[in-house]
Order: sequence, then structure tokens, then C-alpha cells
Amino acid sequence: MSSKALNLRHQVIRIYKELLYLGREYPLGYDYFRSRLHKAFASQANLKDEDQIKKGIERAEFVKKEIEALYYLKRYRILRQRYEKT
Amino acid sequence: MFRTSLFRSARAAVRAAPRFQSPIARPVARSFLFQSKQITPAAYFQAVRCYSAHAGLSKDEVEGRILDLLKNFDKVSDVSKLSAQSHFSNDLGLDSLDTVEVVMAIEEEFSIEIPDKEADAIHSVDKAVEYILSQPDAH
Repeated sequence: MSSKALNLRHQVIRIYKELLYLGREYPLGYDYFRSRLHKAFASQANLKDEDQIKKGIERAEFVKKEIEALYYLKRYRILRQRYEKT
Repeated sequence: MFRTSLFRSARAAVRAAPRFQSPIARPVARSFLFQSKQITPAAYFQAVRCYSAHAGLSKDEVEGRILDLLKNFDKVSDVSKLSAQSHFSNDLGLDSLDTVEVVMAIEEEFSIEIPDKEADAIHSVDKAVEYILSQPDAH
């Protein structure tokens, strides 16, 4: 494997790890998140083209931001619920 | 690398000033055996244990902990194939993404961080054991 491909491979593994760490707090549970994430990554395993892989990594980054936004929303809702009850 | 240079500098310091105790190390036993005139500097340093000394994991312990971790991993297809020599993808039926998860679990178990390149080389149980044993700060 060339060094460029290896570099891309490490990038993919890094984003996969970051997403896994993020998924621990997922509302539907970590196991749900993990199996879905695994499927999503495995379905793209046949990509050979460099640009396609880069696009995939960008998509993963986007998903990461969405999950972060989801957590902010979750926290906001919990706080609002607690303050409105009193 | 770092450890040998540390030992070398510590030994040099002891040789230069045998009377002074270095502030990072404390004598384990200061008994009649160690009267300051008679000891050689190297022997003196051996009677001292640094706080930074590594925990001393045995190979069996590391192996047992990694095997336990794999036993609890739900994607291992055939637990009976689990042994100290088993290969993650050939014997246990894990793909590369599962291997990443196993490496993450190992990182957590031993509270270390494994860099990407080294993590890529861990394909089997004995490779993982070897890597953990080579890390002085694994717990």
C-alpha cells in the first residue's frame, strides 16, 4: 500500500474512532449506534478512488457535527423541561 | 531509549555525588547492609525504587486480560477458537473495523494510547500482548 493510501486509511480509522467515542451517549444506546456505524462504514469499504474516499471522510465529519448538534439539543431540551416544571 | 538514558544519567549522578540522595528516589531499605562508605554506586542505586518505575505486568496477566476482553466482545464468532495465538480476522472472524474497536478496548483496559501506526500492526492476540509488554506505562 502506498503511503498516500495508508494515510487515507488512518484518516478513516481516526474518524471511525471519534464517532465511536461520540456514540457512547447516543439516546438510543451505544449498541444501536455501534452496529449502525459499522454497517455504514462497511458499506463503503469497496471504495478505491481517492476522491471518493475523501468525500466519504467529509461525510463522516458532517455526521460527527450532526451528532454534536444532537447532543446540544438534547441538553437544551432537558434543561428547558426542568426549568419549566417549577 | 528514554529509560536507558534515564538510568545512565541517574548512575552518573550517583557516581558524581554518592553522598546525596536524589530527591526523586527514596531508599527502600536503609539497613546496616548499606553503610555509606562500602557500597559501590551501582549497587546503591539498585536498592532504590523510583516512583516512576513501571508496574511490572506479567505476560500471563496481560494475556488473561486481553482474552477476557475478547470473550465479552459480542462480535467474536467462535469463543472456542479464542487462544493466545488467535488472529483477529482469520480465527475470530473480525473485520478491520472490529479490530479498531478491539484496539480501542485494549487502550482503555490498560489506560494507554496506541498511535495509529502501531494500532495498525496489531492483528492478533500475541501481537497485542507483545505491544502491551513493551509499553512501560501500561497498567
